[in-house]
Amino acid sequence: MKRSNITDEPAHLPIHVFLVIFTLLAIYPVLWVFTIAFSGGQSLAIADLPSDPTFLDRLRAILPWPEQVSLSNFKSVMTDQPFARWILNSAVVAAATTVLGVFLATTAGYAFSRFRFPGQRAGLMSFLVSQMFPGTLMLIPLYIIIVGWLGLGSTWIGLILVYATTSIPFCVWMLKGYFDTIPLELEESARIDGATPIQIFIKIILPLAKPAVAVTALFSFMTGWNEFILAATFMDEEVMYTAPVGLRFFVGGFSQQWGYFAAGSIIVSIPVVLLFLFLQKYLVSGLTAGAVKG
Amino acid sequence: MNLEAVKPRRLAIGLSLALLFAVGFGLWLQARGRAGLSAMVAERSAIVSLNALTEIVERVGLEGDSLQGAVARYVELHDGVASARVIRFQGIRMMASTAPEDTGEQAAPRKMAREEKPLYDLGQSLRAAVETNVQEGRAFKTEIDLQKLPAGGVGLAGPVAEGDKIVGAVLIEAIPSVYQVGGASWLQALLVLVVPILLLFALVKVVGDRPLVLLLLAALLLLVAVFLHGILGLEALHEERMAAEAHISQELTLTARGLATILAQEGLTASPPLEPADWDVDRFRRPLGLVTESAVDEQAVAVREAGEGRSYINLMIPVTVAALVLLGFVGLGAAGRTGAALSRHRVAYFYVMPAMVAMILLVFFPFSYGILLSFTNSNVYNTDQPLSDIWIGVENFVDILTDFELVKTTEDGRVFNYQNFYWTLGFTIIWTVTNVAVGVSVGLFLALILNTKGLVLKPIYRVLLILPWAIPNYITALIWQGMFHSQFGVINQVIQMFGGEGLSWFDSPFTAFITVLSTNGWLSFPFMMVISLGALQSIPNDLYEAARVDGATRWQQFKTITLPSLKPALVPAVIISVIWTFNQFNVIYLVSGGEPGGSTEILITEAYKIAFEQYRYGYAAAYSVVIFIILLTYGIWQNRVTGASEGV
Amino acid sequence: MQTRRFAIVTGTLLIGLILVPLGALAQTELVVWHAYRGGEKAAFEKAVAEYNKAKGGSIKVSTLAVPYDAYADKITAAVPRGNGPDIFIYAQDRLGGWIEAGNTIEPLDFFLEDEITSRFLPTTMEAMTYQDTVYGLPLNYKVITQIYNKKLVSSPPKTSGELVANAQKMTDATVGKFGLAYAYNDFYYHAALMNAFGGGVFGADGKPTMNSAANVKALEYLMMWADEKKILPAEPSTALITSLFNEGKAGIVFSGPWFLGEIDAGVDFGLALLPTIDEAGSPMRPWMTVEGVYIGAPSQHKDEAYDFAKFLTDKPAGVIMAVEGRQTPANTAVYDDAKVAADPILQAFRKQVEVAVPMPNKAEMTMVWSPATTAMNVIIKKNATPKAAMEEAQKEVVQRIAALRK
Repeated sequence: MKRSNITDEPAHLPIHVFLVIFTLLAIYPVLWVFTIAFSGGQSLAIADLPSDPTFLDRLRAILPWPEQVSLSNFKSVMTDQPFARWILNSAVVAAATTVLGVFLATTAGYAFSRFRFPGQRAGLMSFLVSQMFPGTLMLIPLYIIIVGWLGLGSTWIGLILVYATTSIPFCVWMLKGYFDTIPLELEESARIDGATPIQIFIKIILPLAKPAVAVTALFSFMTGWNEFILAATFMDEEVMYTAPVGLRFFVGGFSQQWGYFAAGSIIVSIPVVLLFLFLQKYLVSGLTAGAVKG
Repeated sequence: MNLEAVKPRRLAIGLSLALLFAVGFGLWLQARGRAGLSAMVAERSAIVSLNALTEIVERVGLEGDSLQGAVARYVELHDGVASARVIRFQGIRMMASTAPEDTGEQAAPRKMAREEKPLYDLGQSLRAAVETNVQEGRAFKTEIDLQKLPAGGVGLAGPVAEGDKIVGAVLIEAIPSVYQVGGASWLQALLVLVVPILLLFALVKVVGDRPLVLLLLAALLLLVAVFLHGILGLEALHEERMAAEAHISQELTLTARGLATILAQEGLTASPPLEPADWDVDRFRRPLGLVTESAVDEQAVAVREAGEGRSYINLMIPVTVAALVLLGFVGLGAAGRTGAALSRHRVAYFYVMPAMVAMILLVFFPFSYGILLSFTNSNVYNTDQPLSDIWIGVENFVDILTDFELVKTTEDGRVFNYQNFYWTLGFTIIWTVTNVAVGVSVGLFLALILNTKGLVLKPIYRVLLILPWAIPNYITALIWQGMFHSQFGVINQVIQMFGGEGLSWFDSPFTAFITVLSTNGWLSFPFMMVISLGALQSIPNDLYEAARVDGATRWQQFKTITLPSLKPALVPAVIISVIWTFNQFNVIYLVSGGEPGGSTEILITEAYKIAFEQYRYGYAAAYSVVIFIILLTYGIWQNRVTGASEGV
Repeated sequence: MQTRRFAIVTGTLLIGLILVPLGALAQTELVVWHAYRGGEKAAFEKAVAEYNKAKGGSIKVSTLAVPYDAYADKITAAVPRGNGPDIFIYAQDRLGGWIEAGNTIEPLDFFLEDEITSRFLPTTMEAMTYQDTVYGLPLNYKVITQIYNKKLVSSPPKTSGELVANAQKMTDATVGKFGLAYAYNDFYYHAALMNAFGGGVFGADGKPTMNSAANVKALEYLMMWADEKKILPAEPSTALITSLFNEGKAGIVFSGPWFLGEIDAGVDFGLALLPTIDEAGSPMRPWMTVEGVYIGAPSQHKDEAYDFAKFLTDKPAGVIMAVEGRQTPANTAVYDDAKVAADPILQAFRKQVEVAVPMPNKAEMTMVWSPATTAMNVIIKKNATPKAAMEEAQKEVVQRIAALRK
């Protein structure tokens, strides 16, 4: 396989062929979900095989197109339970997590980048190290703290606090790297012009760091949108469940309702995929600029 | 160490602070010891009263007519017992009661009222505890229940036996007279605090300006002061202890006499003879063997005191070390410098504070609790006990790390022990390495291809190839599990399409590993691809131009220009990816669930199962700490090797 | 359409405004948690609505459905800390663990009267009892039974001899046809054979008996069915069993009520009692999973909660749960109801449960599954004899239990 980005180009056609095949294989699971969702049934199988299937029969069974197209799964998912309300809960929690997460990460990242103070390296390392804590086992202590001591069970705030905190370490690390690439002279000249530190931070630094802030927002949103076990444990009222909790009703324990699960998955995935697409032009530069000092 | 900063004044301040801290802690411990002694006497007196009453009840019999009378007379005779009740399980009946409201219509014997349900449940749980202890052959559950009553006094409950079976319970409300234990000697404490300071100043005059010597002398003074204070305190405590035991011995005598009177009045034989020493038991109803009616067993008491003395020493050692550190900290001037630094950088600290506070409260604090838990034997049976009672030190860690039984030999051959820590560790390492390798190679390869200049449809490819990352991973994990379904799953359908037999993917460790590897590889390549793309795009074209002019082949260009430029971006990404993959709970849990037989568990899913299926919280916490230490070691090593965090 | 909706909404608001102060006067609110879905959930909510109606506003019960995967952890986290429901419904397998954890489940002995306890199948009451104290009222039970294809099996076998004879005639492994197909590698299903031979997981003294002679004998008997008589498929996954039965390639299946929903419409199936094992002299005794109604220990309304529990386990509610929810209630009187008596499926399970054994509810039970499953897999793959594998399992279970006792 030729790989190079200099002027004597490799042939595009083999590259396209490879990419098309690979992309199709890579998104096959997604297509499969769409097929099951639109099939109107609950079975895992795309098509029922006759007892002695031929090659064509089997091929039909793996092609991602349902035997009959129906919207009944989607209808059931939205009407049999308050799925819309659950999505709203997820949206509120994820949005607030994003705001809080961005706030916490940008302030800390800015400090780590611009200031030299005792405990700076230790602080930064401790953020990285905290990623190594196995989080699943903190369920009970977190429950005691959030629901017991702070009394924030079954509220949006309880989840928002935990999610925002979870997303801090990676975002701070990334933001610091990005802030490091912004030249100090900009701040110097602004300070000479009489701007306060806060003005400099909000009006100059943040806009320049848009890619990294976008990635921070994306990560915080994903943390808030995709979490299951804490939401299921903290929330005591059905109206307060979030979307992942609702989805688990369909495939868990003794129920295997793949049709509803697929339909619900699509509904739940759309917002985060859209956000990804919207922010994807920032993804590349936001994640790497800090490391590759341009 | 900045020895010039050592000045007599600083040393004096440091020494006073350290003394205050250490001696203060010692005083606190000793005061707690005295309070504990007082509480012990109260508890033992109450238990003696309870057991004496139980003795009468068992001799009269729950059905006996004179039960009510005997109980009433007992309460009369005993100042310390305010009221007593006897219940029988069969028929849920109150057989005797001296509570003021239980007279006339409500007089015992009668059926128990709704408000008395907690008493009945308590009695039954004591019965269950006795039966469990018999079955287990050891003191596992407490057989006497002791609760502080809101209105003052103590409520006790104990089982009543008939032959082998527990048929009822005795419940009393005791208001034990407060046993006064001698207070601390304030003069002693004052002396221990002041004298060393004076001595220090004297020594400064003698020794002169030799900082190191002064520092060491101050440390020595601290140690001597703490040691002396400890010795004197423990001595005093011993005196008090002997007096308390004598007091209990007297109580036994009095109670026995009272009981003998009641037995005579009720016309019951005094045989078998009363054994008052058997009334002095712990909450598991094991005789303490410390006192009898007439004497105190000094040796037995000494054994118990030795245990308490040891725990005093164990606690004072870290405290003294901390005091020494405090002395050094202040004495060497570090305290002053810290204060100045804090104030100088207050803007920075102000910016960092919100994130730090959130992290400390919601991440570091729960994890510290987890670390504490890992030194205990916490499990579902002892969650109500304070951590110090179930402390087992490093035993959990020893158990985890010394379990070398990787291969079990049975009659028919050798079988891998999948629950073994080293198997799980090995599997986790293999899992991490292969996943990161797959993710990096696939991601980098795709990035290189996509970076071809002028490639049409590039945005479309990029968008589609990010999808595996964008979709929530618990959704995709379940989807992949469905695709590997042995009957209806797509993978097997494809295999069968080409004439093969579908595999039972989750029935053998290797194929199960393939399932989770595919899932996680699929999930992780987009991240690597994006990082690589970003790094590739920032490599200036002129470098390649120059290399081409120099006649370098494409492969040489790749090795000398591309790879080194990618390193600063890829290395942190690899570190993060290693950490995330090592702890990737969702994929293993949802796709293979550790099947078959726990062979595809990684350390974190194993820890989860230990906590929630085996109810062993302390052991699971130790597992998590081991995971953490492994990752920490890796992070430090990786850092050193690549200087990655320097770049960041 | 719009005006109609508007009218309904305003009307409800007005009525609510009037009723709320009236209701709030002396209303006790109870919360009950469950993990039901679909038809069961609808039936359950109907029963709850009946109760609320009967109480005329003095007690109001509201329900919360919890996803099954998060349910047990949620109870463990929330209830002991006072944040849980007044009542919750769960099977008996976690009962021991929750009782040992403390402050989770309220003992019911004090409330129980003979007329209440006598309405249940005695074995279901046993499942709700831990250390001789009753902790819940049994709601329903699930057992496996014999499900046969009427086209392939004219009369279901009553003894193991008949079973083997008929199955051998039917079995042709080359075309994938089997006389008997069930998930025999799943320890839960195998328990039916194990109990028939008098084996079990825990002895009377509460100590594990994985390696007892009876257990080994049961396993050897199973392997005889598989190897010598060859009437069983080699790798019995639940998916395989389902597809075999639906394709008419399995004559008899041992499974429970959950299997019935998977059977294709075209298969004419019948239910019969599990056969008697000639060599053991006893019928196959499957484990029964009993769902119980428990009262949360921190609940502030225990008497009302008990009243609700009594209602739920009484005949009228039981008929709703049986006919519409497709459950098999533990209340024996339910089976006299006309609709229930006419239902062959419900009656079949009712007959089967007579010989069923309640699954142990000890806390240590959760530690048994993993070693047991490993042992089953090893035995079936012939990597070890039953004796050796069960010795291993026994060692593992004893070790795990000892670790909790240090």
